[in-house]
Amino acid sequence: MPGSASTTHRPEGLIERLRSAAADGGEAKLKVLRELKNQIIGNRTKKLSYIKLGAVPSVVSILSSASSSVDCLLIQCAATIGSFACGVDAGVKAVLDAGAFPHLINLLSHSNEKVVDAGARALKMIYQSKAAPKYDFFQHKNIEFLISLLDKNNENVTGLGASIITHSCETNNEQKILADAGVLKKLINLLQGTTSQRESSLESFATIIKQNPEVITKFVGPENSTTFGSLLELTKDRYPRTRLLACICLTLIKNATSSSSSYLQSVGIRTKLILVLLELVDDFGQVGDEALFTLSSFIEHEEDLQKLAFEANTVDKLCHQMQKESLQAKRLEGIFTTLGNLCSNLEPCRSIVLQSPKALIIITDALTHTTIDVRVAACICLKNVSRSVKYLSAGHFMTDAVIMPVIQLLYDASTSVQVAALCTLVELSKSMDSTVRLNAVWALRNLMFLVDSRCKEEIFMDLKLFPLTRLISDSNACVQEQALGLVCNLVNGPVDSIMYLFTEGLLLNTVGRELRRASKPQVLVQAMYVMCNVASGKEFEKEAVMQQLVNEDDNNQSIIVTLLQSDVASLRTAVVWTVVNLTIPTGAGALARVVKLRNAGVVSQLKNMVNDPCLDVKLRVRTALGQSMTFGDFST
Amino acid sequence: MSLFWSVIRQLAEIEAMATSKKVITRDEWEKKLNDVKIRKEDMNKLVMNFLVTEGYVDAAEKFRMESGTEPDIDLATITDRMAVKKAVQSGNVEDAIEKVNDLNPEILDTNPQLFFHLQQQRLIELIRNGKIEEALEFAQEELAPRGEENQSFLEELERTVALLAFEDVKNSPVGDLLDISQRLKTASEVNAAILTSQSHEKDPKLPSLLRMLLWAQNQLDEKAAYPRITDLFTATLEDPTV
Amino acid sequence: MPVRMVESPAPSNSSGANYGQTCLQPCSLLSVGQAFSGTQNVSSPQKDEAWRVNVRIQGCDLDHGYLCGTMEALNVPMADTPVVTFWEGEIVDTKNHTFFTNKWKATSEVDIEHWTKFPSFSPLLSQVEVDGGKSLDLSNYQYIFMRWKEQYFVNVGADCGLTIAGFYYVCFSCVDGSINGYYYDPNSSPFQKLELKTTNEGRSGFSFSSYELQ
Repeated sequence: MPGSASTTHRPEGLIERLRSAAADGGEAKLKVLRELKNQIIGNRTKKLSYIKLGAVPSVVSILSSASSSVDCLLIQCAATIGSFACGVDAGVKAVLDAGAFPHLINLLSHSNEKVVDAGARALKMIYQSKAAPKYDFFQHKNIEFLISLLDKNNENVTGLGASIITHSCETNNEQKILADAGVLKKLINLLQGTTSQRESSLESFATIIKQNPEVITKFVGPENSTTFGSLLELTKDRYPRTRLLACICLTLIKNATSSSSSYLQSVGIRTKLILVLLELVDDFGQVGDEALFTLSSFIEHEEDLQKLAFEANTVDKLCHQMQKESLQAKRLEGIFTTLGNLCSNLEPCRSIVLQSPKALIIITDALTHTTIDVRVAACICLKNVSRSVKYLSAGHFMTDAVIMPVIQLLYDASTSVQVAALCTLVELSKSMDSTVRLNAVWALRNLMFLVDSRCKEEIFMDLKLFPLTRLISDSNACVQEQALGLVCNLVNGPVDSIMYLFTEGLLLNTVGRELRRASKPQVLVQAMYVMCNVASGKEFEKEAVMQQLVNEDDNNQSIIVTLLQSDVASLRTAVVWTVVNLTIPTGAGALARVVKLRNAGVVSQLKNMVNDPCLDVKLRVRTALGQSMTFGDFST
Repeated sequence: MSLFWSVIRQLAEIEAMATSKKVITRDEWEKKLNDVKIRKEDMNKLVMNFLVTEGYVDAAEKFRMESGTEPDIDLATITDRMAVKKAVQSGNVEDAIEKVNDLNPEILDTNPQLFFHLQQQRLIELIRNGKIEEALEFAQEELAPRGEENQSFLEELERTVALLAFEDVKNSPVGDLLDISQRLKTASEVNAAILTSQSHEKDPKLPSLLRMLLWAQNQLDEKAAYPRITDLFTATLEDPTV
Repeated sequence: MPVRMVESPAPSNSSGANYGQTCLQPCSLLSVGQAFSGTQNVSSPQKDEAWRVNVRIQGCDLDHGYLCGTMEALNVPMADTPVVTFWEGEIVDTKNHTFFTNKWKATSEVDIEHWTKFPSFSPLLSQVEVDGGKSLDLSNYQYIFMRWKEQYFVNVGADCGLTIAGFYYVCFSCVDGSINGYYYDPNSSPFQKLELKTTNEGRSGFSFSSYELQ
């Protein structure tokens, strides 16, 4: 009666029987092994407690001492070991520590196919874990062994071979060794086999070609059209995971080879692939999640593909899907990443997101998600959606209903608005993770673009709370660039807004210091435009800029001359504009500034630039020179 | 932008779409049907696929001998699969689990949802048999950890344990769990998982073809009146109603 | 003045396979955020009239020859508020767009008729007549030619009595940021002239803002 069995089912009781069975042998072994196996299969908690109690070494010792003629005992041992290794890293470690590996390998050459199956399954489980040792492809005999596995007419054995590759092949060299040994070809042949063979082969295939244009050109080229054809065919397979894996392989092929190559150029095939992936996205499990990321990577960097994805209603679908409740973090991340990608270039995509009910709210909400990857993805998505000039410039940033709720939330000074986007962004801008920080500052900078002075003030009131100066001097140059862009937008617009830099006191100094210290041209350009905007203000503001740029006590070459000599045209443009602003003849201090600039060598440097290769620079240089010469020519 | 130079007249007449349905007579329809050639071997394959998937091993064997159609799966594996299915249907879930594990230990080790449903069925059987203490212990030891791993399992588990709370379980909101249909549901889930592990479709093709037929007829209904099949058992063509 | 300035070269007629493939160089006066103000002459045989007009650039993508912005007309008859429209522009870079419009009811004759109203167009005329300017390299030319097409009314309904069915032929000077344009719409009075100058919005100098397209 099963009711009374509960005490013997307890791990402690079973372990004792296992130990004595291992010692005495006989019929008892088989019975206790089966019992153990049936208890642990599918049951992670039981696996862990038996591992802790030391069950694995007992099982391995039964396997090692078993005669090769007792097939059922071998099968039960291997199945139990395999289950310990399945999905539990501690199990893999215990199995390897107990020395099971060579015994399992021996089973592969057994005459009974069921024994081979059990051994191969157990080894496959081991290699599906990160805890498994790395297989050394550089040894010739190992490659030979691997190929012998792939040649076997047994799906578990070939599956083992594929798992070894998927687990251990990491570097370009390893990929090349495997490809040169003919492994890709064998994997392609295995695509004709059973479902599990197809899926494990596709996975290994992807591992070998991943980011390796050399291998792809050599082995998947047009002269190997059957390979390509097989992959395309499998995108129509009846099993979702097979379709997904085929799409992953094709995406890897496309992404690793330059756009000029002949792979996947046909619009028909491209559309087809997008449709297959989109259909897979309906699966709310792992396959759907991976399909999203594959789709995203397939269309990344290629506007044509983004257009195709748009035409396939990807945006509607994802906007619809994100409304579902209790989506897993991975799914949200995938949706935001893909939408972010689509909205990076295409205005129609942004329109749909902006018009979709609740979509923006959901994205904004996700900025506070507990998972960091979701926050980053939502941030990027928001950033790209907010590029919709068409919608954002639809009139007044303050009132129009199309304006991003973010702005609305920023505008709402009430602290009870929990998801106040600014606070979120400001919060994120303090993140230790530089990607989060970058995206947050980036979004803030774009939000600051052309907002009216009232809104600007609100933003600044909040910004003051966090050390903007620290962002300007951030260790990550990209963060610096965005932070300076933000300051630049802050002081643009109504002339009073320049005051923000002076109420904070240190900010202008910080910008000046970065001009002398930074090396990334984009950082310098943004810093210089801050100076330029300040120099378009009142007299004392122009003087403050002069102090930052021209130091008369310093005998070294002035920073302004150094920057004028930059070979980055956009930086030269920014510097010359600053000089133009500083030398506008109507200012009371203009003459004095012209004299200082001339003494610092700026005027003679400008004279060298009257035929600057960049038209924009050339034209501004002429304006600057014209203005400084209204005070007389000092060149003699 | 500009002021209008002259008022633009836009006269848009909406054309009434008085579309009338096309009528296809029985003769025309049958003539068209006769023009579609379907190979006998394909029909046989469909039948074999149905017998194999549904597990009618004896019928499949007889059909193989009579029609010469080869099954796409080893008929011996059908017997094993049917034994598992039968065990669940008759409430011997533990026995079913052991049989599946002998067949292929990967099935339950890599399919948490199926494993959970089998364990849940075990719990239901314990409750059905009035073994309350054992049921409680089983729920605690075996099912609670699964609930911790997965939110939807937890919800299902809570629903199942609720069986213990009702005096008159049959008429309780969770009474359906004790229904025979719950066993059949679980049995069919195991059946499908085994088929999938054997690289075989989990559903026979015939029912989906019938579904496709109904869908196509519904689409066509909007555009035409034609002899349609309403009774799928007799598959007789009904005269079009205009 | 001791500095010899090379005068602005005429647009070159580039030869070889890569003709017309150079993007226009960015011009900071035509960058996002820049504001312009001036007038649109809407005189008709019945009445002399000019509107005050403000324009702001909202987006610019030279690679795709794209520009967009808002246009605000201030003293529009019958309208009680300024009328704001959103427009999108095609930059004639000979790569994405040529001088030939090929849409918006503009034939190449209409195109030439309007372009020739800009003095800076005259050196280009002969080549444009041949191929719409496809073989011209305008990347160093001090003028940028564009077509601005209004897309929608931002703050009023479509029933405001105004039409945006037409579009503007526009010529922008990189030297001083001045803009000249002519409105074309077969259903409106011909050659309404748009004249705009860059504004400093009360500043003593030029200031810039930006958002990042990456």
